[in-house]
Amino acid sequence: MKAVIKRFFSTKEGTLFGIFLLIFLFMTLISPGKFLSVYNLQSMAYQLPEFGILALSMMIIIVTGGINLSLTYTATFSMIVGGLAMSAMHAGGSSPLLSVLVGMLLMLVIAALCGVFLGFVVSYIGVTPMLATLGAMTLFEGLSLNITKGGAISGFPIEFLVVGNSTILGIPVPMVIFVFIIIGTWLFLEKSKMGMSIYMIGCSPKVSYYSGVKVKKILFQTYIIASLLAAVAGILMASRYNSAKESYGSSYLLQAVSAAVLGGTSINGGEGKVVGTIIAVAILQIISSGLNIFGFNRYLTNVVMGAILILVLAINFLVDRKSARK
Amino acid sequence: MKKQIVTMKELPLLIILVGLAVIIAIANPAFLTIENFLDILKSNLVLAIMAFGMLLVLLTGGIDVSVASMIAAVTVITGNVLVNFSSNIFLAILAAVISGTLMGLVNGLLIAKLKIPPIVATLGTMSVILGLTLYLTNGAWITGIPENFVSFGRIRILPFANRDGRIIGLPIQVLFLIPVIAGTWFILKKTVIGRGVYAIGGNRESAERMGFKTDSILIFVYAFEGFLVGIAAIVHTSIMRQVDPNAFLGFEMQVIAAVVLGGASVLGGYGSVLGTAIGVTLFSIINNGLILMRIPVFWQKIVVGLIIIGSISIDMLQKQREEKNQIRVDVE
Repeated sequence: MKAVIKRFFSTKEGTLFGIFLLIFLFMTLISPGKFLSVYNLQSMAYQLPEFGILALSMMIIIVTGGINLSLTYTATFSMIVGGLAMSAMHAGGSSPLLSVLVGMLLMLVIAALCGVFLGFVVSYIGVTPMLATLGAMTLFEGLSLNITKGGAISGFPIEFLVVGNSTILGIPVPMVIFVFIIIGTWLFLEKSKMGMSIYMIGCSPKVSYYSGVKVKKILFQTYIIASLLAAVAGILMASRYNSAKESYGSSYLLQAVSAAVLGGTSINGGEGKVVGTIIAVAILQIISSGLNIFGFNRYLTNVVMGAILILVLAINFLVDRKSARK
Repeated sequence: MKKQIVTMKELPLLIILVGLAVIIAIANPAFLTIENFLDILKSNLVLAIMAFGMLLVLLTGGIDVSVASMIAAVTVITGNVLVNFSSNIFLAILAAVISGTLMGLVNGLLIAKLKIPPIVATLGTMSVILGLTLYLTNGAWITGIPENFVSFGRIRILPFANRDGRIIGLPIQVLFLIPVIAGTWFILKKTVIGRGVYAIGGNRESAERMGFKTDSILIFVYAFEGFLVGIAAIVHTSIMRQVDPNAFLGFEMQVIAAVVLGGASVLGGYGSVLGTAIGVTLFSIINNGLILMRIPVFWQKIVVGLIIIGSISIDMLQKQREEKNQIRVDVE
C-alpha cells in the first residue's frame, strides 16, 4: 500500500496532486472556518467548471503546438449571439424551454463557426496560431461589442438559470457537466485515433504529414472541437451571471494557459494530459479563491496569476535542462 | 533603382494607402485639411514610436503583448516623478526610458535565457505589470503635471496661422519620432545586431551556428522595445498632460496590427522600417477615416482584427504560391 502511494506521488500528476493537497491544507489552516466552509466550497464548485472547461480547450490547442488567444472571446461572442436570440424569443412569447434550447444550440453553432474560421485560417492558410487567434480575439470582441454596444444581454427565461445554478443530488449541475466534459476530452485526446494524431502534429507537423496523418484536416477539426468546449463554458457563465457580456471570463485566458502548462502540457506542443490540467485547474482555483477570502485586491490576484505562469515555465526550463545534462 | 526604394512588398501598400485616402477624402472633405493631417500625426506618434520596437520583436519571430501594460506603468512612473519629485524634463525622460528599458529587459531575459515562448512570457509580464500598476494607482488619474512640462509639450515647430487665425504647426513630439526611425533603420541595416535580428527570424538555430549571439540579440530587441515604450510614454504624457493608467487597454493589438499591416511577417525574417512606416500611416488613416465617416467606434476593433488576420493570410497565400512555383521549376 505504502509503495503504491509512493509511486503515485512520484508521477508528474501525483506530485501535482500533492501540491494541491498542501495548498488546500495551507489555505484551510491560515483562514480557520473561512476557506473550508460550505459556502466557499460551493462557490468554488460553481466557478471551477467554466474555468476547467476553458483550460481543457486551451490545452487541446496547445498540444497541437498552437495557442488560442481568442478562447474567452469565442465563449462570450457565442454566448452573446445565442443569448440575444434566447431573450428575443422569450420576450416574443415563445415557450421558455424552446427559447432555452434554441439559444443554447445557437451558442454552440456560433462557437463552431468561430472554430471553422480559426481552423481554416490556421490550418489551410497557414497563419501562425498565435497571430490568427490574436486577431480573432480582437475581431470577436469587436463583433460582440457591436451587438451589445458595451452593455450586457439579459432577459433570459428563468429555466436557463437551471444550467448554471441548480444541483442534482446535491451536486451542482456545472460540476456534473464538467465531469462529462473531462471524460469526453480524455477519451477524445488520449484514447482515440484522432487524439493520437493531435499529439503527433504537436511534436512535428512535417513528420506527421509524411506518416500519413491528414495534418490540415485534423488541425481544422481540433479548432472546432476546442471552440465548442469554449461555448459550453460560455453557456455556464451566461447562466450563472444571468446575462451575456463580452468581458466575462477574460481573466481566464491567462489562467487557462497557466493551468495547461502547470498541468504538464508542453508549451511547444505534443505533450500533455487531461488529468494534469484538471489538477492544475483545481490548484489555481483554490489559490484565487483563497486570495479572495484573504481580501486580496483583485489586481494583485492578476499579478499573482501572471507570476505563477512565468514561474512554472521557468521551473520547467530548469528541470528540463538538468535532466538533459544527466 | 526604383525597386530598391520601394520593394515588391511595399508597393501594393502604397497603392492601398493612396486609394484609401482618396475614398475617405471623397466621403468627407475634412480629411484633406492640414489640421486633420496634423491631428492624425499627433494622435499616432505613440503608436508609431512603439511600432518600430515591435518591428524588431516581430522580425525575430517573437511578439510582445506586454507593451500596453508597460506604457501604462511607465506613464504612471513618469507622472509621479514629475508631480512629486522634480519638474525637470530631462529627469522625467531619464525615468521613463530607464523604467521602460528595465521592463523590456525582463521580457528579454525570460525569452532568451529561460526559453519561454515570447507570447507566454509577455502574457505573464503583461498580467504582472498591469496588475501592479492598477493596484498601486487604483486606476486614479495623475493630474497637476508641472507647468514647464506642459508648455514644453505645447511647443510647435514651424508655426503658422491657419485660415481662422489659429496658430498651428508640427508638434514638438515629432522630434522624438525622427531619431527613433533613424535609429531603428541604422540598427537593422548597419549593425551586426540588425543582421542577427533577421537571421534569428529566419532560423534561430542556424543563426546561432553562424556565430550570432542570439541570446544577447534577443535581450537587446526586447529591451529596445522597452526603451521605445519609455520614449512613447514621454510623448504621450506631454500631449495628454495627465496620466490615465487605463488609457492603454488593448493598445498592444493596435501596435501589432500596424506593424503586421506594414508587412512584417510574424514568422520572422521579413519586414522593413519603410514598411512599418507605411503600415503605421495606413493604420492611422484607417482609424481617422472611420471617425470621419462616422462609423461607430466598436467597428475599430473589428477592423484591427481583420487587418491582422487578413494581411498575414495574404502573406501566407503568396508564400504558398511561390513555393508551388518553385516546386514546378524543380520538376521541369
